[in-house]
Amino acid sequence: MSWEERQVRGYSEFVRAAQSYHGRPIFALFCGDKDAEGRSWCPDCVTAEPVVRKELHNLPDESVFIYCLVGDRAYWKDPNNEFRKNLKLTGVPTLLKYGTPQKLVEEECFKAELVRMLFTED
Amino acid sequence: SVQAHKEEENPQKTMEVNGLMPGVNSYDYDLIVIGGGSGGLAAAKEAAKYGKKVMVLDFVTPTPQGSSWGLGGTCVNVGCIPKKLMHQAALLGQALQDSRKFGWHFPEEVKHNWMTMTESVQNYIGSLNWGYRVALRDSKVTYENAYGEFVGPHTVKATNKKGIEKLYTAERFIIATGERPRYLGVPGDKEYCISSDDLFSLPYCPGKTLVVGASYVALECAGFLAGLGLDVTVMVRSILLRGFDQDMANRIGEYMKEHGVNFIREFVPIKVEQVEEGTPGILKVTAKSTTGDQIIEGEYNTVLLAIGRDPCTRKIGLDKVGVNINEKTGKIPVNDEEQTNVPYIYAVGDILQDKLELTPVAIQAGRLLVQRLYAGAATKCDYVNVPTTVFTPLEYGACGYSEETAVEKFGEENIEVYHSHFWPLEWTVPSRDNNKCYAKIICNIQDNERVIGFHILGPNAGEVTQGFAAAIKCGLTKEQLDNTVGIHPVCAEV
Repeated sequence: MSWEERQVRGYSEFVRAAQSYHGRPIFALFCGDKDAEGRSWCPDCVTAEPVVRKELHNLPDESVFIYCLVGDRAYWKDPNNEFRKNLKLTGVPTLLKYGTPQKLVEEECFKAELVRMLFTED
Repeated sequence: SVQAHKEEENPQKTMEVNGLMPGVNSYDYDLIVIGGGSGGLAAAKEAAKYGKKVMVLDFVTPTPQGSSWGLGGTCVNVGCIPKKLMHQAALLGQALQDSRKFGWHFPEEVKHNWMTMTESVQNYIGSLNWGYRVALRDSKVTYENAYGEFVGPHTVKATNKKGIEKLYTAERFIIATGERPRYLGVPGDKEYCISSDDLFSLPYCPGKTLVVGASYVALECAGFLAGLGLDVTVMVRSILLRGFDQDMANRIGEYMKEHGVNFIREFVPIKVEQVEEGTPGILKVTAKSTTGDQIIEGEYNTVLLAIGRDPCTRKIGLDKVGVNINEKTGKIPVNDEEQTNVPYIYAVGDILQDKLELTPVAIQAGRLLVQRLYAGAATKCDYVNVPTTVFTPLEYGACGYSEETAVEKFGEENIEVYHSHFWPLEWTVPSRDNNKCYAKIICNIQDNERVIGFHILGPNAGEVTQGFAAAIKCGLTKEQLDNTVGIHPVCAEV
């Protein structure tokens, strides 16, 4: 079975989704919320998303790609938000391999080579 | 046979025979670095900065117990980093005890959980491994997790963990393969004993531990294991911390003894047997005296060997390219530009003969070497007055000569030693030892009482020593030191 995508919004939905896929490699991209026109308040996320999407075909079989909107700008700026506290996220966009220390943060997500490395290497 | 010899001496001819065109542009890479540790990675990243095409080959042969790790070398994975973190864990345990006298109240006995600590440490190391891979990829350095060995002039074979082999050529090579722990060579050593390569990722608490050895690795590990509350014994063949100032070494030993570490002096293990399987199990160690016929036995959950480290230079095909090594030690002799006897092959780090085995030294040597090769620089690595710290329970920082070496080199009548004990203010309230912390400087009388040796035994020794190392590099004299007003109240003011 090839990879699949799941879209979630907010911390509790993310955790429930990740738990439901327990046992499979999970990759997650965290971005700021999008407005009615589909534009995120986070300009770096706008840049990163197409780069990441272009590399998705490199995901290993059986893996899951969770696309997670974290919340609005005010929520994200709060230093105690659950993503910062529990997942130790320091910025958006963040692309990570769940359950490992492997992640790419902010401008690192603009680089196709690095995204590919995260998706394909151990 | 004369013909074959002639061909070997002419690499150009060999390359033509192998279908390779001679000439600079025909190599796959400008530089191949064998070994992705402190020295190797520093050199590789530096070379990439100058636009060179670089490859790093890094591979960890698993330990007899099956331990392995990611990119970054010894320091990051099984050396300095986890060591300092576990040392810190032990210090925090001590701080918890001290805190009661400062008014903190927690009724229960405080206990330590090995797995919690180890998971945190390994998680941090994992982020470092990943960070290195991102850094290499970002600098366009090609990294392969494969075992590199020379198979002919300018050519290495890289074998990955699936056994797939690839050949690569380069104009120049840097060997930075580092070392691995030595085993005793007695029955049961590889089957039952662990080394520092296994300790920092051990998936169970080591329990009652016998540490064999008297190196800084042995004493640092014994120190933090005891600090975490474990029953620790150190078995020493002769002296502690060979190569270090012996007066300081003995003070370290005394402190550890008074703080719960058992020492068995002048014995070596001759046999290790398994009494009971388990994680940990129970091992029986038989040891013989070095001064007589006495035999002793002891039972431990874990036996940690820390009797020395051997360079990884014997199985990387150095004979195929004619690189000389010291047959006895495995170390590679180089000139003061880190060049081996083969002009296009260089070496950095722990494998070098007669050089200090320290991460910052390897990094500095690697960077400067690359700058000389590709950026027209001329600076050579300065191996003199390199500061160092031993992270035993009572930390020891040093820079320059030991007292013995200073006496030997300059003559007892030409050196002056100034010393003092001190009692850190933080130790007064919790009633900790008032006569153990100690510092001394060794001065060369004939050279304006220039400070040629600095030694301090006390908390945060590394932090204290760094500044003094810079001063010594600038030619610090006793008078200048006396004229420097102290910061109060800190240990360093002594």
